[in-house]
Amino acid sequence: MGVDIGGTFTDFVLINSANGQIYTEKRLTSQDDPARSVLEGIDVLLSSAEASVAAVGNFVHGTTLAINAVIERKGARTGLITTAGFSDTLELARETRYDLYDLKLRFPSPLVSRPLRKEVQERLGPRGEVIKPIDLGEAIGRATELVEREKIESLAICFLHSFLNPVHEIAAREAISRKFPALSISLSSEVAPSIREYERTSTVTVNAYVQPLISGYLGRIESWLSERGFRGSFLLMTSSGGTISSSTARAFPVRLLESGPVAGMQMAALLGRLRSDQNILAFDMGGTTSKGYVVVAGEAEKTYQWEIARVHEFKVGSGLPIQSPAIKLVEIGSGGGSIASIDRRGVLQVGPQSSGASPGPACYGNEGMNPTITDANLLLGYLGADSFLGGRMRLSVDRAVDAIDDKVGRPLGLGTLESAWGIHEMANEDILRAFRIHAAERGIDVGGYTMIAFGGAGPLHAIRVAQKLRMRRVVVPLRAGVFSALGLLTAPIAFDVSSTRRTCVSSLSSEKIERTFDPLEETARRFVLQTGLPASKLKLRRELEVRYFGQGHEVVVKLPTGRKVAPETVSSLFHKAYQRTYQTTIKLDYELEIMNWRVEVIGPSPKIDLTQERSRSGIPPTKGTRRAFFHDPGKLVSTAVFDRSQLCAGDRIVGPAVVEEIESSLVIPPGQSAVVDAWLNLVIDIDQKGSRHGL
Amino acid sequence: MAYDAITLGILWNRLISITDEIVASLVRTSFSTVVRESYDLSCVLLDSRGQSLAQGSWSGTAFVGTIPRTVRHLLSRFPPETLKPGDVLATNDPWLGTGHLFDITVTRPVFRKSRLIGFTTTVTHLPDIGGRGFSSNAREVYEEGLRLVPCKLFERGTPVLAMFELIRANVRVPDQVIGDINANITANELGSARLLAFMAEYQVEDLSSLSDAILSHSEDAMRKEITKIPDGRYTHTINAEGVDGDLTIACTIDVADDQIKIDYSGSSPQSSFAINTPFCYTYAFTAYALKCLTIPDIPNNEGAFRPVVASAPAGCVLNPNFPSATGGRHALGHFIPTAIFGALQAVLPGRVLADPGLINLIRFYGRKPEGERFSTVYFASGGMGAHAQADGLTATPAPSNICSTPVEVFESVTGVLVRRRAIRPGSGGLGRYRGGHGQELLFENMTGHTLSVSLFANRTRFAARGFQGGSDGALREVLLDGEPVDPKSQQELPPGSTVQFAEAGGGGFGNPNERSPELIEQDRYLGLSGVAAN
Repeated sequence: MGVDIGGTFTDFVLINSANGQIYTEKRLTSQDDPARSVLEGIDVLLSSAEASVAAVGNFVHGTTLAINAVIERKGARTGLITTAGFSDTLELARETRYDLYDLKLRFPSPLVSRPLRKEVQERLGPRGEVIKPIDLGEAIGRATELVEREKIESLAICFLHSFLNPVHEIAAREAISRKFPALSISLSSEVAPSIREYERTSTVTVNAYVQPLISGYLGRIESWLSERGFRGSFLLMTSSGGTISSSTARAFPVRLLESGPVAGMQMAALLGRLRSDQNILAFDMGGTTSKGYVVVAGEAEKTYQWEIARVHEFKVGSGLPIQSPAIKLVEIGSGGGSIASIDRRGVLQVGPQSSGASPGPACYGNEGMNPTITDANLLLGYLGADSFLGGRMRLSVDRAVDAIDDKVGRPLGLGTLESAWGIHEMANEDILRAFRIHAAERGIDVGGYTMIAFGGAGPLHAIRVAQKLRMRRVVVPLRAGVFSALGLLTAPIAFDVSSTRRTCVSSLSSEKIERTFDPLEETARRFVLQTGLPASKLKLRRELEVRYFGQGHEVVVKLPTGRKVAPETVSSLFHKAYQRTYQTTIKLDYELEIMNWRVEVIGPSPKIDLTQERSRSGIPPTKGTRRAFFHDPGKLVSTAVFDRSQLCAGDRIVGPAVVEEIESSLVIPPGQSAVVDAWLNLVIDIDQKGSRHGL
Repeated sequence: MAYDAITLGILWNRLISITDEIVASLVRTSFSTVVRESYDLSCVLLDSRGQSLAQGSWSGTAFVGTIPRTVRHLLSRFPPETLKPGDVLATNDPWLGTGHLFDITVTRPVFRKSRLIGFTTTVTHLPDIGGRGFSSNAREVYEEGLRLVPCKLFERGTPVLAMFELIRANVRVPDQVIGDINANITANELGSARLLAFMAEYQVEDLSSLSDAILSHSEDAMRKEITKIPDGRYTHTINAEGVDGDLTIACTIDVADDQIKIDYSGSSPQSSFAINTPFCYTYAFTAYALKCLTIPDIPNNEGAFRPVVASAPAGCVLNPNFPSATGGRHALGHFIPTAIFGALQAVLPGRVLADPGLINLIRFYGRKPEGERFSTVYFASGGMGAHAQADGLTATPAPSNICSTPVEVFESVTGVLVRRRAIRPGSGGLGRYRGGHGQELLFENMTGHTLSVSLFANRTRFAARGFQGGSDGALREVLLDGEPVDPKSQQELPPGSTVQFAEAGGGGFGNPNERSPELIEQDRYLGLSGVAAN
């Protein structure tokens, strides 16, 4: 069973492992108490399958609870204890302006305010050596002030250089726990053991801030499950695409921050594996944002340094930094509800402001007067006024026309259709630009990759974006609406740990490499075995972060598995990775330095069968035709409309066409065609004729 | 070719994203903390005429204003028709570049189908440049280090080894300096590949018509804003600390229709010490201040320079003659926007910032405990000024833009211990909105060797002024082992000694009696009320 809590909806999926049958459920998330909608939904889901909780083997859960608590500032009252002289680190941050010209820029206020930040006498040096032993009496005293006077519910501890030597943080926790056994305590050396004290403090603070909430929530679900005889594993999806036990999740809730979007991405990766499309760009476009990530040779790239809760239009630097493993996602403010306007330059701008669910796009007929991407897609004929959300919601063409003429057409001197196309195309460009940068950061070009498009608005834009990126193929999966929840069931149990050990490559031997990795492997293994997985099923991945001696940023070097690695192998892998990443011919004869050693222990990927049985004779029936606009020929043309639920494996749809589902529609421009595969995905092999932009 | 508003927006945004990639690559491949942690850098794309088209969203304030001029200087030494694919040009000449020897400007001509179509250019602040380095005592540029007149670092894709050897032989931390120069070269190589891919994809044969469209858009928008400022003459004079006496910046702003002229006549004559601000730097901060006041939300490019005419008499401290010393040009140049904001505060009260506490560049030079040499700069921000709608930001650089180096990184590359880095309560000037607070820093020499510290502190006698009735911020203080020292001097710290900084607060905005009770209560709760003692 997979349950995925999103911003608006909670999605449920149940797979009967005996016969492969898939059951789904979707309901509004109860914002006041998300556990309620989860538990109610599980009841409905199980009764539709005529199954009991006791029959559920694995329950995998993804949730936006942690990240929303930070964004909405609904976490616990949190205290922070730091090295003497550094209680303001959290507020001084990196002392920089993310916008050079905006003199009125703002930053997020720190999660822990000044009176709740206390200092303790202790000091480690830059090699992890103890310069001044910790004063534990003072540590207990400070914690007592925080608990008794400030009424904190959670405590974060971050000492300088603790990523090299956790001894003082551990001693402080032991002393404080003895006096306050119920207090939840997060240590920076465990939550985010890497250099740069502001980023580490920020991460451990976020962990502490969400810990009581997540812990309470998970406890409630667990006791509900056990009352009903649940005997399986309860697992949580992490930001890095693996699952962890609920006890690990309680200790490191910061690892759950991106668990929602990552599940969808996992599903895309699985689909890619099934279809033997190894290189994928997953594209998820919803109501407010678009997200994407690349999978190369079946593997997603991770990041260990990112940002959440940006306060200024997704601008880098306006959020809270997080040092924790996560799938490297790119997210931009282009979704169906993104508002089109004329910016200060006098050019068209789409997003990041969004009309949200309420008032929504102008065509929803509510109070919304601003033109959005959805309004444009309606006027272009990509959405049907009578078939939106399966006909449950009528869209107003007149309102869309008025909004677009008013806010875009007249100011720019363009006609309605031209303006609508401009909005659609600007969104395509914003998305593909973000994707291209995202891919370029990995030193790859997504040309030749397969796009897997989902989310309510993804299939409307997918083919055009893919064509512009010169991609080979687009796959639009079935059940795009509960795609993420299904993804939960495909994720392996996994845990990654890392350690900063500065080491010169020239001073290494194969044996020393093994000796350094061993304890990390031990730790990661322990967390994974907690889930009850047998040790024989575990796989190991090892990575080094390497740089030229003296640099401050590293390149990831993936080590071959299953054999000892020689230092020379590390060097040659580094040079290759460096030149590829920075597209440079420069190769320096400097010493190489390893900064971080990283191990991931991974269980087997669950197998799920997505084969679909559906048959029908004859050619696919159309629902009718409507007029839709396409860049080539540059005018409205008669376009066939299909009902996706009527399509069977082997069907072929030739553009111009629109294939409608309840939650989304696929737009197939002239010159392109879609084929239905064995899993009932719509597959479009991109015809690159006319793929030049013709701008 | 004319571009419609939709196409123009698409192409314009792509150019900016290319510069963002260049910046990311520069940061990740550089060696000195000055670049990799503190982001003392910039990146600009230029058309074939050397006009700036787009700059990294993260860019240093002054460099984006100096780069186009530097590239044009490089082109007058190496005319465009003589350039070949794979050439890389550079200079650190203070008058042609960024105002002091520490910054190197590196540019790569980009060829499409063997035609020169533009340039990618980066600047970074080098961790060392030989000579006295960062020293207020220098009297001529010759003492300050190695001056690279316009030169080629690469010729047709091959390094000019003699240049690299020359630089390596003249600096204290050669691996870092050469590493950083290579990072500049790498970043420009990536940038030119991206620019060519962009042009191929959009079938842009040459950038000139796109450049014309982007630049005239920005220029028109800025002129439109300037016309909203009442025509007239606005003057203002401010004082700043020199090395051997106080200095004056006098500015006279003439607003006429859609044009702004700024003249610095009446400013002090050039100094005998290293605080002179070459005109390229003066101009860059002038243009920056006016952009902030008129079109802060439009991406910067050459179009935003066109409506601004700036001048300063030759031989004045804002336009010094060769070979005056210029190492500390920022310690004076950072005052330029405050002079302009001061002059225009009466007509643009909703747009100006009260004076900022400014940033303090502290250069440390010595040996790590193991004996290895280091040379680095620690950047410590004062508080930003308040504005008409909100308090100033605490410990935030303005008008320059830099990041602080993490204490853990600083300690690991120097062996110098940071004992304290904390908000300096009460240092922001009072007002309806308070100035941003400065910070307190305490460094201890734990290296076991004598440590040399170059001080170039300003705001030690002239506080950040409040605007519209707001109070001044607290002054900057520098203490050696607890005793005040000359804030513009070079100090030798024996092992175990400390150097301590109280960074200046920003000026307040509006009458302090009009401060809301909620904000007063918040100050009290956070322990940030009161007035820091000076």
